[in-house]
Amino acid sequence: MPGSEPRTRLNVTTFRHSPLSDFLVPFRKAQSQWVARYIIVLFAVIIRCAVGLGPYSGKGTPPMFGDFEAQRHWLEITTHLPIKKWYRYDLGYWGLDYPPLTAFHSWFLGKVGGLIDASWFELDASRGIEAEGLKSFMRITVILSELVCYVPGVLWYSRWMGRFYTHISPIDQTVVAAAILFQPCLIIIDHGHFQYNCVMLGLALLSWVSLLYDDYAIGAIFFVLSLGFKQMALYYAPVVFAYLLSVCCWPLPNGFNILRLCAVGTATLSTFAVLLAPFVLTGGFSEIGQILHRVFPFARGIFEDKVASFWCATNTFVKYRSVFSLAQLQLLSLVFTLIGLLPAVVIIFLHPRKHLLTWALAGCSWSFYLFSFQVHEKSVLLPLLPTTLLLAEADHNTVSMVSWINNIGLFSLWPLLQKDGLALQYFVLGVLSNWLLGNLNWISKWLLPGFLIPGPVLGEKVSRQDTQTVIHTHWSWSVIVVTSYIGIAALHAIEFYLDPPRNYPDLWVIGNVTLSFGCFTLFWLWVNYRLFMMRNKKLKTQ
Amino acid sequence: MGKSNFSLWNIWVASTLLKCLLFPAYRSTDFEVHRNWMAITYHLPLKDWYIEDTSIWTLDYPPFFAYFEWILSHLVPQFVIDDNCLVISAEPPAFSWPSVFYQRSTVILSECVLFWALQWYINSSQPGTERSKNFVVASSIVLSPALTFIDHIHFQYNGMLFGILCLSLVNAQKKNYLACAVFYTILLCFKHIFLYLAPAYFAFLLRNYCLNIPKKVPRSFSSVCKIVNWLNCLKLGSSMALVVGIAFGPFAYYGVITPLVQRLFPFARGLTHAYWAPNVWAIYSFLDRVLIQFYRHVWKTPVESLASTTSGLVRVVDFTVLPNITPKVTFLLTLFYQIFAILPVLITPTFTKFVGSLTLCGFASFLFGWHVHEKAILLVIIPFTFIVPKDKRLFEVFKLLTCAGYVSLFPLLFRPAEYGFKTLYTFVWCVIYYASFEEITPSLPRRGFWNRFNLIYIIGLLPVVTIVSVLEMLSSTVPVLQRFEFVKLMIYSVYCSIGVIASWNSMSWLYYLDDEIWS
Repeated sequence: MPGSEPRTRLNVTTFRHSPLSDFLVPFRKAQSQWVARYIIVLFAVIIRCAVGLGPYSGKGTPPMFGDFEAQRHWLEITTHLPIKKWYRYDLGYWGLDYPPLTAFHSWFLGKVGGLIDASWFELDASRGIEAEGLKSFMRITVILSELVCYVPGVLWYSRWMGRFYTHISPIDQTVVAAAILFQPCLIIIDHGHFQYNCVMLGLALLSWVSLLYDDYAIGAIFFVLSLGFKQMALYYAPVVFAYLLSVCCWPLPNGFNILRLCAVGTATLSTFAVLLAPFVLTGGFSEIGQILHRVFPFARGIFEDKVASFWCATNTFVKYRSVFSLAQLQLLSLVFTLIGLLPAVVIIFLHPRKHLLTWALAGCSWSFYLFSFQVHEKSVLLPLLPTTLLLAEADHNTVSMVSWINNIGLFSLWPLLQKDGLALQYFVLGVLSNWLLGNLNWISKWLLPGFLIPGPVLGEKVSRQDTQTVIHTHWSWSVIVVTSYIGIAALHAIEFYLDPPRNYPDLWVIGNVTLSFGCFTLFWLWVNYRLFMMRNKKLKTQ
Repeated sequence: MGKSNFSLWNIWVASTLLKCLLFPAYRSTDFEVHRNWMAITYHLPLKDWYIEDTSIWTLDYPPFFAYFEWILSHLVPQFVIDDNCLVISAEPPAFSWPSVFYQRSTVILSECVLFWALQWYINSSQPGTERSKNFVVASSIVLSPALTFIDHIHFQYNGMLFGILCLSLVNAQKKNYLACAVFYTILLCFKHIFLYLAPAYFAFLLRNYCLNIPKKVPRSFSSVCKIVNWLNCLKLGSSMALVVGIAFGPFAYYGVITPLVQRLFPFARGLTHAYWAPNVWAIYSFLDRVLIQFYRHVWKTPVESLASTTSGLVRVVDFTVLPNITPKVTFLLTLFYQIFAILPVLITPTFTKFVGSLTLCGFASFLFGWHVHEKAILLVIIPFTFIVPKDKRLFEVFKLLTCAGYVSLFPLLFRPAEYGFKTLYTFVWCVIYYASFEEITPSLPRRGFWNRFNLIYIIGLLPVVTIVSVLEMLSSTVPVLQRFEFVKLMIYSVYCSIGVIASWNSMSWLYYLDDEIWS
């Protein structure tokens, strides 16, 4: 598949030596560049299909099973029960605890699935069912949901960034989009472990893309839909709110725009109304209270399992749960989170610039992940979304930092994935995503004889920077990154060869949590620093 | 890109990672077959390998494959042995993840032969257009959906075997005839299905290596004798005999050649497989079934009910209306078309003619052979790929052949879990490689009239696959559909056999009558 056309614009040097761009060489011609977009989407789907062949969470573990059974159960209850019972039916067995859009989504999928095989979703009788066809059906619904919500968002985002910010050619925009689509954490959680995070993340992403294109009301609608799918989208809410408020009301850059404010306000409120209307109409206003009660379970602990948040990581030294009461902890975590997200929100409010939006979202959502109440290990997907989008900056140091933190994010999911039996998928996706971005090029350079060194360009004269994308140019970051990788390798090796001491059965997991927490915190600080430094930078042209 | 290396490395890494993700996928009984062979070769002395029959999956490949299994079985790590990987038993033993992991990785590793052979093929070409052509050919073979499905999901070692075939072909292209013959003999001693390609090899080696056809008609006895290159004949014969000796010698020493040969050539199987491979007999069986319906409903003649050919349990099939087909008929038909295919090689023994005749030999065996498996389509597609960049007209035939051949493999992976993977992978492969071959093959002065039918046929595959998938999906809710289980398979095999037979026709036309392609 050789292309012999010279490239017209060579702005992106960051991914130039990556296997990803090597694969897309045949599509560099102007008339076939559009094909490349579909090709990468197809390959993204193929990888997801292949990951989906593996096991899912809670397979063969009665009586409660896992997230797969929870999702299936919601398809079952929404299709068989009247709306007013959705949030009240047998709450002990995976009661619905996501907002209404998840319920509608489940209802729709349940109706479709019922056409194929009604026994999959029979009320009560189908609990714990593990049919081969059911698994495939559920897997396909995740892939289709992702194709509808997430993939267009990624393509549009990378296109906007390429056209208006980094000024790279369409084929390089496609390379960036592919790099984002092959982010391993989302693939393995949605298509391996089994969840529909792609819908919530995709809707949030669509809302940001609308903001980039100045469609504020549409952005607000998408964001409310995202919130209406999973309440975790609240991680992004402060920044989105600050940005919208700033472009509508803050007089300095744009002037006070009452019309825009009304449009955004109406869009937000009416979307909420549409989402809640079916419940209010069938069960009265008390339904809203019940939904809120289900969706925000404040009675649960400050963290579940082991998660790389501030509270869990420092719990080794301070036993918070014995020192503070639950209410005190809630307040404490709220204060910490607010302090943590303040820089990002203030900067985006004072400087509502489009190229700052993703950085601010990253800063804000990392602060939520690190400090807020009731964080799951899977919540790392939320900060990782804007973080991964930063790949579109196509700047060497940013790409290296984002690759690093994605690897740490994947590592922080290891205890969960190991429990699910997804170790193979974990390692394969980890290698695949890094290798595609060219982070492992140094291995090819070292190992291979000259004629095997791949690609149109890697074989040519190669500068030092070209072969080591993984490392930040500043020595202190290099030390940190390399140390963390050595730590990861050591933890995996220790866990493989040694059982934890009897008194501390969670010791290896605590090691994982501590290492991940350290890296996440450093990254969060770095994002805030970059945000602060970039706050006055203007877009080159727009 | 001026200075390209055209390395398969990136493709190898990407496809290997993808194949690792396929570890938990569906595996057929072939997995148990190969596991059993490992167990047999590990535990038993060589003389009992072809006699042992505890499990029904007895060793029925030639000796080199048995040696290969012997090597694999001695590389099994202890924790895999503990997983019952090497137990000889009638029923499959309770093995789990470690055995699967080990056996699947041996497929991936053994496939390196194919990558190596094709990288050599790329590197031995002139830099420039020829190299880029060879790169497209090589990468299309290593990424072929058939190899991915059959080896890495269904479970077999075709990658390694076709790697040896490619080594032999590259040697043929480089005029290393002796090496070409030796590799082919080694291949035969791995899997005897490659005997179907023997006529083409025979003609090619005979003409190029064993005979010097003089310019003038020979007038003396000594010059007649000199037509035969005796030294080369001796070299060829002795080296091939050496390979065969290494393979079969130990078994001859123990006097177990007879059971070995009986294992290799069983004739107790039916004309068609449970699922009809897309060949002439699929059409024939289909016609038979149509005629049965005619007899029953139109002419109201009672037809004695017979076991269904598609039920999968029946070994020997009798046709109801049409005359029965005996093994002898299929053998003669195959031989007839194969002999026809080698005549042009005897006249002009060029490499391209040789590959053309290999393709036609493969076609003849696939279309007319006895008990053909749909997997055998690789025997046609892989040699064919080497000559596709020669001409657009060949490329048109290739399109028809590959899409029909690959879609016909879909019923092999019948579980819903692999559905998305198999369809999308085939689709992407077709899009990428049809576009790439389109780019590198010299263009036609005019579009052939028949190409439109090609296009209609290829697009027609989409509704065919969709209809069958919908039937499959609804079969659990609509009980009527379950009675027509075989209809799905029949749709696939009849539609695909139309494509394969049509591509054979056009290929024969081009091969025998169009000289400018082959010069």
